[in-house]
Amino acid sequence: MAGETGGIKNDGDRGTGDVIQAIQIVIGGLLQGAVFAVLALGFSLVYRVTGVINLSQGAFCVLGALLMYTFQVSWGLPVAVAMLCAVLSTLAFGLVIGYTTFVPAVSRLPVSSILVMTGGLLTLIQGVLLIGWSSQPYALPPISGEAPVQMLGIRVPTQGFWIVGTAALIILGLWYLLARTGIGLALRACAENRMAARLMGIDVPLMTLFAFALAAVIAGLGGIAVAPITSLEFDTGGFFTNFGFISVAIGGLGAFAGSVVGGFLLGVSEQLAAGYVSSLFANGLALALLLAVLLWRPNGLFSAAPARRQDVRDEQRIHRPIVRIEGWGGVAFAILASAFVLVLPMVLPPGGILNSLVITGILFIAVLGLDVLMGFAGQVSLGHAGFMAIGGYAAAVLATTYHWPPLAGIGAGMLLALLCALGLSLVTARLRGHFLALATLAFGLVVDSLTVGLTNLTGGPSGLVGIPSFSVAGYSFGTATRMYYLVAVLIIVLVAMLQGAMRSGFGRALQAVRTDETAAAALGVDVARYKLAALCIASMLAALSGSLYAFDFHFLSPDMVGTTRSFEMIAMLVAGGEGTLIGPLLGVALVTLVPTLFQPFALYKTFAEGLVLVLCFLWLPEGMFGAAAVWFGRLIRRRGAVR
Amino acid sequence: MTEFALEIDGLDKTFGGLHAVNRASFTVPHGSLTAVIGPNGAGKTTLFNLVTGLYRADSGEARFYGVSLHDLTPVEVAARGLIRTFQAARIYPGMTAIENVVAGAHLHLKTRAWQHMLWLGGARSEERALTARADALLDLVGLSAFRNVAATELPMGGQKLLEVVRALMARPRLLLLDEPAAGLNDAETADLAALLRAVRDSGISVVVVEHNMSLVMGVADQVIVLDAGSVVASGAPRDIQRDARVIAAYVGGEVAS
Repeated sequence: MAGETGGIKNDGDRGTGDVIQAIQIVIGGLLQGAVFAVLALGFSLVYRVTGVINLSQGAFCVLGALLMYTFQVSWGLPVAVAMLCAVLSTLAFGLVIGYTTFVPAVSRLPVSSILVMTGGLLTLIQGVLLIGWSSQPYALPPISGEAPVQMLGIRVPTQGFWIVGTAALIILGLWYLLARTGIGLALRACAENRMAARLMGIDVPLMTLFAFALAAVIAGLGGIAVAPITSLEFDTGGFFTNFGFISVAIGGLGAFAGSVVGGFLLGVSEQLAAGYVSSLFANGLALALLLAVLLWRPNGLFSAAPARRQDVRDEQRIHRPIVRIEGWGGVAFAILASAFVLVLPMVLPPGGILNSLVITGILFIAVLGLDVLMGFAGQVSLGHAGFMAIGGYAAAVLATTYHWPPLAGIGAGMLLALLCALGLSLVTARLRGHFLALATLAFGLVVDSLTVGLTNLTGGPSGLVGIPSFSVAGYSFGTATRMYYLVAVLIIVLVAMLQGAMRSGFGRALQAVRTDETAAAALGVDVARYKLAALCIASMLAALSGSLYAFDFHFLSPDMVGTTRSFEMIAMLVAGGEGTLIGPLLGVALVTLVPTLFQPFALYKTFAEGLVLVLCFLWLPEGMFGAAAVWFGRLIRRRGAVR
Repeated sequence: MTEFALEIDGLDKTFGGLHAVNRASFTVPHGSLTAVIGPNGAGKTTLFNLVTGLYRADSGEARFYGVSLHDLTPVEVAARGLIRTFQAARIYPGMTAIENVVAGAHLHLKTRAWQHMLWLGGARSEERALTARADALLDLVGLSAFRNVAATELPMGGQKLLEVVRALMARPRLLLLDEPAAGLNDAETADLAALLRAVRDSGISVVVVEHNMSLVMGVADQVIVLDAGSVVASGAPRDIQRDARVIAAYVGGEVAS
């Protein structure tokens, strides 16, 4: 989702001297950075008022630009009128989305859930864009013509002045609003202490909505300004979100000056990396900058985060009901479910559906690991597909290029993923909440950029072809039926093992870490160690899943195991039921099978995934499986085994 | 010679301009029930946080059975047998009442995760033994009826008691309770007093921070009075009640001393 589509087109002619080239690149970086800065301001604004990172920010950027395209190019309205219409439409959309999803989420979900829910909003808005504008790239005509301004041999596109002007206007406007007006005062009061602000008669939900919609408009304006010098597609929002988010993390969450500095710093370093190293690695280098900042100053360059008291729980809202199936009910359920899985291929018509079930099972293995990490240990991972990519590519490359036996390839992939998890934990060990989520997102993006960039090894953006079928000692799992049984047995064994571990002291320690780290430590739970254990399990299962995926498809491309997949897996997990191990299978099946069974729905897949994630967080926090289990439990007896 | 479960030796902690704990010193004899009282802001909870490694003391140290707790993390403190509860009951929200109590036994688990993954007999029987002990403790404090209920659905008093029995599952040598009676009604407070006496009589030393004077005077062997971060009085409950400095600390600072 990152990279190619979002970058500034570099149309300056190279070779007119190194200095001029360098200046040219820096100017490109500053223009790029202006957009990041504007996005980062939106992040900071929402964060200051609500304490939440709004990942849907980037999508409003694209929404604004595509609306502008429709009004200006398709309808032929004058620029000023088109811009007004685009901004007002973005505002209206932001108000509707904010009122229906964000405001209720802020008032009742724990922070980590709101974060992931806004990730769902990002997917949902991208889905809307895909339906409305289809999947082609768009570019707006420059506001004041194509001809660049020439100064001392340096060419600057005139649009650059519009971009910088827009950014300056937004920065000044925001400063005036916050520092000089009554609304600004109320917003700052919400930022200081929401409860106190409410007691002082400030309408906190209204302020939340206002901040969300204002941030949407700011993003929309940024998108409109930058669209003439870049090309935008429905999913470019992910790129903007990532880089806006990274800018604000470099600058310091909630610090407005830091956001602007972070944005420009990121834009310039990214363009320098693209200009002097390779555009394929530009993201990776930008992310290395982020990781360096996080290691050096975990709160960013301009920290605005206040110190927190550890002996007071800051997370009062654990929104998920408890789902337990115990005793003979559990045994009966396990036997029935296993039998169903093993008999299913015999009653199904042969063909495509069995292949889809194999994919469902393979993805479920990765989501199972994510459940241990997120559902039990409470560690949000926005880059989980990165481990799938590591395992998948390692196994596939070893088996295809180096002719290793597939089983050895899978083992090597899982080991590599484990090593990467250990390396990642060195960075994440000191991070909590948003910063942890951010670091995992950065990790996923680094892997993304490596799978795209290491063309010789991975086949680059077009993917790795000719991957053999999975086989053990000459026995090939080349048919869908064989693969199905391999995956089915693997899943039954894995679920049984994890079920055993999760109901033991290990599982209780993970849940203790999820809900209250301080209380867990006071009872002797080594918090860091259990987080690491969960990450190790999750990374190895993701690697296993990624490698089986490659062997099953005989093909692996960066899209299949990219950041979009990471968000998709979270949607599957939450829809199925976090912390239930088997529940996420329903989520995986829903997301994987429905588009296969009903081909016309393919266009709506992105939208539906986002919608499912958002709706589940808001109204079905225990997920489909959890809801079914609770309902079933009430059915068989009023109190007892199931609760 | 008396053996001391806890020796507080000149502990000092400043937050910005606030001198939260000011060279506090006192001792907790082994097997005793010590109450720490004092007005709001006297530094009682900060003292607990210093002892259990949540904060670092600026100077001074706490010794647990003669061994310094300085520089230990909360986990290391707990592993030595010093278990605390929190002012706001911090039961684990995602678990049922019985699971919360069993989770307290974390330090004493013998079987490991892989044994549970393979559903080995030893692992299962340890689990059964822990559950039986947790059930006995729930029964002791009258929470058996709530066994399979989400811990957060218990009334406040129940949550406080649950936190205490969860701490007992950790088999502490010294139990630090931070305002266990806050939010309890009179009957629950009486139950708590009985529980505290039973805990002390079983050989576990107890330190309790408390506002509820009738509870403190009824169960404590010695009372430590903190005011503005300093120990202003210590002694038997009967003596403390008559101490002018204590009355000054509670009623107002202008009483002549």
